[in-house]
This record gives sequence, structure tokens and C-alpha cells, in this order.
Amino acid sequence: MVRFALNDDLQRRRPTVFFRALIALPCLIWVGIWGIGAALVAVINWVATLIRGKSPATLHEFLAKYVRYTTHVYAYLYLAADPFPGFSDDRAYPVDVEIEPPARQNRWTVAFRLVLAVPALLIVGVLGGSGSLLDALNESSESPRFFGALVVVGVFGWFYAMARGRMPRGLRDLAAYALSYGARAWAYLLLLTDRYPSSDPLTAIGPLPTRSDPVRLEVADDLRRSRLTVFFRLALAFPHLVWLALWGLLALLVAIVNWFATLAMGTSPGWAHRFLSRYLRYQQHVSAFLYLVGNPFPGFVGASGTYPIEIHIAERRRQNRWTVLFRAILALPALILTALFGQLLAVVAFLGWFAGLFTARMPLGLRNAGAYAIRYSTQANAYFLLLTDSYPYSGPCHEGPPGLPVPAPDPRPVPASLDV
Amino acid sequence: MSRRLRPATIALPVGAALWAWAAYALWNATHLPSLDLPQLDAHRYFSDSFLERSADYELFLGFLGLIGSIALVTVLVLYAWHGPRLVRESAAGRVGTGMLLAMLGFAVVWLAELPFDLLGLWWQRRHDVSHEGYLRHLLFGFLGLGGTFVFLCLGIGIMMGLAGVMRRWWWLAAVPAFVALGLLSAFLSPYLIPGTEPLHKPALEQEARTLERIEGTGESRLRVQEVHEFTDAPNAETVGLGPTTTIVLWDTLLDGDFSPAEVRFVVAHEIGHVAHDDVLKRVGWLALFLLPALGLTAYLTRRRGGLAQPEAIPVAILVLAVTQLLAAPLLNTAFRREEAAADWAALEATREPTAAKASFRRLATKSLSDPDPPFWIDGLYGNHPTTMERIAMAEAWEAPAR
Repeated sequence: MVRFALNDDLQRRRPTVFFRALIALPCLIWVGIWGIGAALVAVINWVATLIRGKSPATLHEFLAKYVRYTTHVYAYLYLAADPFPGFSDDRAYPVDVEIEPPARQNRWTVAFRLVLAVPALLIVGVLGGSGSLLDALNESSESPRFFGALVVVGVFGWFYAMARGRMPRGLRDLAAYALSYGARAWAYLLLLTDRYPSSDPLTAIGPLPTRSDPVRLEVADDLRRSRLTVFFRLALAFPHLVWLALWGLLALLVAIVNWFATLAMGTSPGWAHRFLSRYLRYQQHVSAFLYLVGNPFPGFVGASGTYPIEIHIAERRRQNRWTVLFRAILALPALILTALFGQLLAVVAFLGWFAGLFTARMPLGLRNAGAYAIRYSTQANAYFLLLTDSYPYSGPCHEGPPGLPVPAPDPRPVPASLDV
Repeated sequence: MSRRLRPATIALPVGAALWAWAAYALWNATHLPSLDLPQLDAHRYFSDSFLERSADYELFLGFLGLIGSIALVTVLVLYAWHGPRLVRESAAGRVGTGMLLAMLGFAVVWLAELPFDLLGLWWQRRHDVSHEGYLRHLLFGFLGLGGTFVFLCLGIGIMMGLAGVMRRWWWLAAVPAFVALGLLSAFLSPYLIPGTEPLHKPALEQEARTLERIEGTGESRLRVQEVHEFTDAPNAETVGLGPTTTIVLWDTLLDGDFSPAEVRFVVAHEIGHVAHDDVLKRVGWLALFLLPALGLTAYLTRRRGGLAQPEAIPVAILVLAVTQLLAAPLLNTAFRREEAAADWAALEATREPTAAKASFRRLATKSLSDPDPPFWIDGLYGNHPTTMERIAMAEAWEAPAR
């Protein structure tokens, strides 16, 4: 069993933030060297576990320390935590994992662990990223060209922390989610546990804030999936995608008019707010259907209250004209994160397709990860389209009833420990 | 005591008479000289081994098509029975749910026909007629289903929308709507064919212009479609309407196996289609088919609450599929007549019966097409005259010229 603990106060010291990548460099080199040893030990551990049905305690401890230390280093590098992690896992760290002593495991799952871990590693690829920043910028590179959540959080968090001396909770929690999932996936792969990692963002990092943003997602899905519609999901979504594209052309025109009108009046015209809200709701219905986050075939008009994965958009209200004027620039980080969440949705759909086809159900973790991605994307689009002036919240959270005030960022430590 | 005649009792025979008159008029719109075609011996034109091989090839595909059709009807009957249960998989309204049921019906048919489809591909690959890979075939078939669904949703949207307003008489309004869509589709079709490029053969283009003057048509666009990756079979087609009229030549026709005179004849044949307005006639046949087919659909879906209800969609698909299967031999008869007329026009324009016969032989040999197929295969699937009939026509044209 792997426990994830988050005990970070969100405060960041600017000098260490500024030089974070350089300061983390020795730790990263140490992780690399340790990683070579861990790879060798992992192979020996695999053979031993296959024979004995249980990992030898020494090997288990060595690999557990490696996973724990790696989590510390990446938490430090990507600003999910502030203290320097040092070169061992001895000390407690604000972002920490605890791995229980070895337990007996099913030999079949041990034998095929590498294959079984592939879906989890796909999610790790999206959350943690594969390919470095340089690879991504180098067009001739053969490496996959996508950043994971951690890299993006690191970059955005760096600017924010430099300006404010603290990390926004949403970004920190997103990084914690990625680290938590990564630690569990690696623990599974390295035979430290036989518990398959859950991708559920609602249980990954401990207690979550209950928010009631102007754009919030309500999930009333029962996880049941129709095998027939799952098999043909992409083809069934085609007419919706065509309709969405046509509707999108009109929405673009309305968005431009809305921008001028909001700039002039300080608030969106009612008709534009309603039109764009409906468009966004429809887009969300189609995304939920296409990516298997929802089961039923959605309607073509974006009617509210018709879909089990439903976005609620608050009534229009007065907005700061300066933020309206520069909305496209302000929304840019959120739109970049939306692209990242799009990758997560694609992986959710890919894995969910197999799960749905074989079990006629969507795994809870995958469904919640998909819903999380859809919620953020819709919030970002709503912000961009001037339906709200609340910046999208990038961390996992519980959705509160409408009218509940949006919690202010909590600067206090958030102790959390959760069994998974 | 005399009973009052209901309007429908009068309208039905009057409508049937009008329909028959329209069909007769459309049939006669294609002028074909009454020829006494000679009975030719295929062995005079093709080797024994080819005749044996092509007969085997077509017979297998014919049986495969027949079994596929039986499977199609069986699956659709089952779907008409069980399909309405799938209503629960929809969060959409009446029309959206109908669209879902229609798409799932087609999806199920695609699945049911997949084994026959793959078997057919295997047979074509075995005979070197197709080079398409199985995975590509599957993938493109699956993705192509998405494109089909878009048009299907449009059609279902029209039918259910009209049924919601006009109730039992929706089909009378649906026929003109679908004819209009058919015209639009015919108009746009040249832009929907993938992998085409302009014809870069000035000599052939010049010859085409000459033939167009002879056959009395305006200038059509000439384009080449790249298909050699998937097949060796040659072909050409006329698509588009009015200003979009386009003659599409497969690149397998221009790979050097066909002589310039043979290619010229094929182009003249296509120009014949343009001269006879055959694309428009096809839309006319579509209208004639749709009228009884949709009327029957409206009648047979009443027990499910009429086509306005999504539960009626599986039955509607079954009725339309069966009527289409039944109408296919009749429509093929009309299409064969149009093709024969285009052949005759090409003979008149080129005055090269030898080239015509050579092109027919080459078309058959490269496509492994049975020159003289069994009656049932020709009746069910043949939308062109058989190769021997086409050669016989060239002989007949030649005879008075001698």
C-alpha cells in the first residue's frame, strides 16, 4: 500500500524559486545514478518476487526509498514543495509517500507486471510528461513532444511564486496529483505493491477544498457503459463534432461581439451570455460523450439538465474592464493547461474504451480524471469567452452547491494522509 | 348501398399511375437504337484460363454478396425487434435519439457485414485485383462510418422533423427534400472524391474537347484519381452537375496498358453520360424509388407510433434496406440502359469499334470481370452491360459501317 501525504504551506522563498532548476540539478543527477541501481535491483526483485511470491525486504526497502526520494526531488523541482530535499529520503518532506513493507503478491500479476503497468504509465506520461523541455522545443527531436502537468505547473508556478512569494493552491494540487499518481504507478511497476494505481483525483492527495465556482461541474453518472455505443463512440460522435464546428463558427462571431459589448458596458449582454453558455454546455456534453466520461448520447442543442455530466454556468455579472481588455492574454496559461488536460482526456478515452468494452463500466478513477479535465477545460473556455471573470481552478476539488463562496487560498499547511 | 370513396382510395391508383408514367418517361429519356445484338462466343475474345478464372472470381463475390444481403436483412430484423431498447442510451430529445438508433443500426450492420467484407477483400487480394491492407481497410471502414453517420443524421433529422409536423404524410414532403439533397450531393460530389488532381496530359485533354464538341456537350473538368496503391482495376466516372461536371479517370487507366485510342473511347463514354444528363437521371430514379419506399416506411412504422417516435427508426431502416435490395435489380436495368447508351454515343463519336472492343477486353481482364456472368449475378449486381454485350454492340455498330 502506498500513502501520499501533503503538508505544504504554499509559501515559497523567491531566491530558491528563481534558481530552482539549478539548485535541483545535483539532486537530479543523484536520482539518475540511483535510478541505474534501481533498474538493476528492480530486475532482481522481479525474479525474487516471482519465485517467493513476496519481495525480499532489503530490495523492497531500496526501491521504496528510491520512489520516495524521486517524489521529493520532483516536488521540489516543480515547486510543489519548498524545502531542499537533500540527498536521502530520511527526513519527512512536505510532499511525501509512505510505502508499506512487502506483502505477498499474486505471481501472475508479478509475471506480467510490465504489461499490466502500461495503462498506468500512459497516464504518468501525461501527468508527469515524457520528453524534456529541450526535446519539445527541438523540432528534429524524436522524443514525444508533450509536456506533462508537472512541467507546465513548474513553469507557471515559477512566475507566480516569483511575483507573489507563494504557490497557488490549484497548481500545487495539480502537481501533487501528478506526483501522487506517479509514485503509485512506479510503486506498482517496481512490485512495491500489487494495488493498481487509481487515477481518481478526488482521492489522490487527501482532503480537497469544496468550491462553488461560477462554472462548476455536476457528475451524476452511474459508471455503466453500453458496450455497443462504447465500441462505436468515435463514429457516433462525428455528427456532433460537425455540428459543434458549425456552431463554433457562430460562437466565434458572438464572442467577438461579446468582447466589445462587455468592454463597453462592463457586463455581457444577456443574449450573448445565454448563447455562449449553451454552446459551452453543448461542447462539454460532446466532450463527455466522446471521451467516455458520460454514457448517453447527448442532444444537439446543449439544453441544461439533460446530461449526467453537466456544467453549470452562473448568471452574468459585472466584470473588471481591464481584465476584459486583456482576457485573451490572461487566459493563455489556462488555455495551455487546457491543451494538457486534453491529453489526459485522450488517454482516459483510450483506456476507458477498453475498460468499457470488456466490463461495460467505466473505472471510477478514469471517469473522475476525465471529469476533472472537462471541468477545467470548460472553466478555461468560459473565462476566455467572458462568461465569468473567475480564473479556472486547476486543482482537483469537490463541487459545492451554487452560492457557496469561493474559498480564498489557504496559506496554512494542509496536512493530509490518505490510504489508497 | 353505395359507400363513400375515401380520398386515399382515389389518390393511390392516381398516384401509382403518375408514378408509372414518370418511370416510363424516364426510361424513354435514354435513347438507345434497337439493335439486334449478335450472340458472341466469349472464347473468341478471351483465353480459356481467363474465362475460368474470372467466372470463379465473380461467382464467389456474387455468393458473398448474396449471403451478405441475407445477413443484412437478418441483422436488421433483429435490430427492429430489439433496437428500441437502446433508447435508454440517449440523453437527447426525440430527433437526437432517433439519430442515435439509426447510427447504431448502421453500426450493427457494419459489424455484421464485416466478415463478408474482409472475405471479399481477401478474395480480391488473392486475385491481385486489390492491394489494400486489411488493417487499412478496417480502419478506413470504421472512420468512413463516421462520415456516413453525418449524412444519416441529416436524413433522419429531415424525416423525423417532418414527421413531427406532418404526422402520417411526412413522406410526401420528405421526397422533394431528399431529391434536393440528392441534387446538392451530386453538385458537390466532385469535391468529395479524395486523391484527385488535374489531368496533366494535354493531348488527351485536346481529344476530350474534340469529343465534347462531337457529342454536343460543354467542357467538363478532367481529373485523375490516384488508386494504384489499392487496386490495378481501371475505371472512370462522371460526377457533378452543371458547372461542377467532372470526368474522373483512375490513374490505373493511364498507366500505359491502355492504348491512346482505348483511353479516348473511355473518355468518350463518360462524355456520353454528360451528354445524356445521366447524373440528373440518377436523381430522377432516386426520386422514383423514394416515393414508394418512404410511403411504405410511413405505413409500416405506424405501429411504433409513426416516424416521429425514435422507437420507429429501427423498423424504418429495415423497410428502407429491404426496399432498396428489392429495387436494386430494377434500378440496375435502368442503369445498364444508360451505360449502353453511353457506349453507343462513344462509338458514334470516336468511330473506332476496334478500340472500343479492345478497351472492353482490357477493362475486363484488368478487373478480372466475367465477360458473360450468370443471369442472377448480372441481374442483382450488374449496373453495366456485360463485357460480351458491350463487345456485341461494337460489332453491331461496325456491321452497317462495313
